[in-house]
Amino acid sequence: MKMHGNELTKLVTRLESGEPLPTALYRRTGNARILGITGPPGVGKSSLIDRLIDNLRRQDKTVAVIAIDPTSPTSGGALLGDRLRMQRHSEDEGVYIRSLATRHHHGGVTDSTPQIVHALDAAGFDIVIVETVGTGQDEVEVAEVADTVVVVLMPELGDEIQRAKSGLMEIADVLVINKADLFNARAPATSPRYSALKWERPTIHTSAKSGEGITTLCGAMDIHHAYLVHSGKLAKRRERAARAEVTRLLQSRLTASILRALEEPQAQTILTDVAKRKLDPHDAVEKLTKEILGSHTRSSKHAATSTRRQTTKRRKTRR
Amino acid sequence: MNRPLKVLIAKAGLDGHERGALVVAMGLRDAGMEVVYTGIRNTPEQIVAAALQEDVDVIGLSSLSGGHMAQFKRVMELLKKEKVSGLLVFAGGIIPDDDVKKLKKLGIKEVFGPGSSIASIAELITKSRR
Repeated sequence: MKMHGNELTKLVTRLESGEPLPTALYRRTGNARILGITGPPGVGKSSLIDRLIDNLRRQDKTVAVIAIDPTSPTSGGALLGDRLRMQRHSEDEGVYIRSLATRHHHGGVTDSTPQIVHALDAAGFDIVIVETVGTGQDEVEVAEVADTVVVVLMPELGDEIQRAKSGLMEIADVLVINKADLFNARAPATSPRYSALKWERPTIHTSAKSGEGITTLCGAMDIHHAYLVHSGKLAKRRERAARAEVTRLLQSRLTASILRALEEPQAQTILTDVAKRKLDPHDAVEKLTKEILGSHTRSSKHAATSTRRQTTKRRKTRR
Repeated sequence: MNRPLKVLIAKAGLDGHERGALVVAMGLRDAGMEVVYTGIRNTPEQIVAAALQEDVDVIGLSSLSGGHMAQFKRVMELLKKEKVSGLLVFAGGIIPDDDVKKLKKLGIKEVFGPGSSIASIAELITKSRR
């Protein structure tokens, strides 16, 4: 490991709070393989990762896991219960596990996930696993971070129509039916076919309970990685990831300046006019964009030259 | 930085009675804290490793099987060995009064027995906020 354990832990905490990753560290990223593990709650994602860690450690690969669980919309607290499925790996120095709460971010991961993945990559881990919250059909942000996305389901979760729907089912590079020991689930005898040009998504039956199918799953992920490298798709995915990360950062900066702008007296008047039906919402947006927002976005652009200056500025506005 | 307090709740040693620990974990979640629950049969080594990786502010140890003196003592020793400071450790379970005194001497802030309220545990933690 290129970074001492405690140093990494503290860095992750800072990133989790929204601080930016030091530039020098970002230059050291790009070497780890990023795996996304997603799927509905209770299908066995954490238990499956526990088994994956076993397998990867036997190949002498170091593994970092970020395991995400939801923040309570009412209390702001969270019960982070993924780690307990992999707790036996806690003492292994080649394994780092970190539980994160969504802190109200929707999309299956946290705001900070891309930056934390970079930190773990820079720390020298061979494999970085991102375990999403238990997802529904529409939480697919993990696909913006991971090289290989594994969607985990279990038997009896739906019929062919469910499989045909958009969202979660579309982002799977590898589909896993876990708990295959239940309901006499039969594995179709498809092994991942691999050509340099076309990836045919395999369906793999596993049982995190018995360990059945884990080796096959690891093999499929390796083959997918090889496919990405040889087809040139890896570079494309990383470009897509960079674009998504920058877009999100830009959005949150613009959102912040919009909220600041709306605090101004002139904006307040416009909002009141909308409430009084003197102005319609679309016209209000036109007016705000022309009269107020322009100056605000310009000023935050200058602040962007120094993140430190920007943080001080943010603090000042909070006061 | 106003991040939520992060708490690790763990059961040390060969003890499978997790109802109490889970109730505390859920109670602290409802009090706005981020609670990592690491489940039953943790070794002191696993608990300390988890606390370090998760960067928690607080550790809550639970034991109902009589192993608390050996297990909790080892946790405190390991924390000292790892030079962890500023971390609050509290305990809960079936623990005789004489042992409570001994545990407090080891640096365990408070021991909560049966009938303790979640509010009293949350208050201890909130007050100690760094």
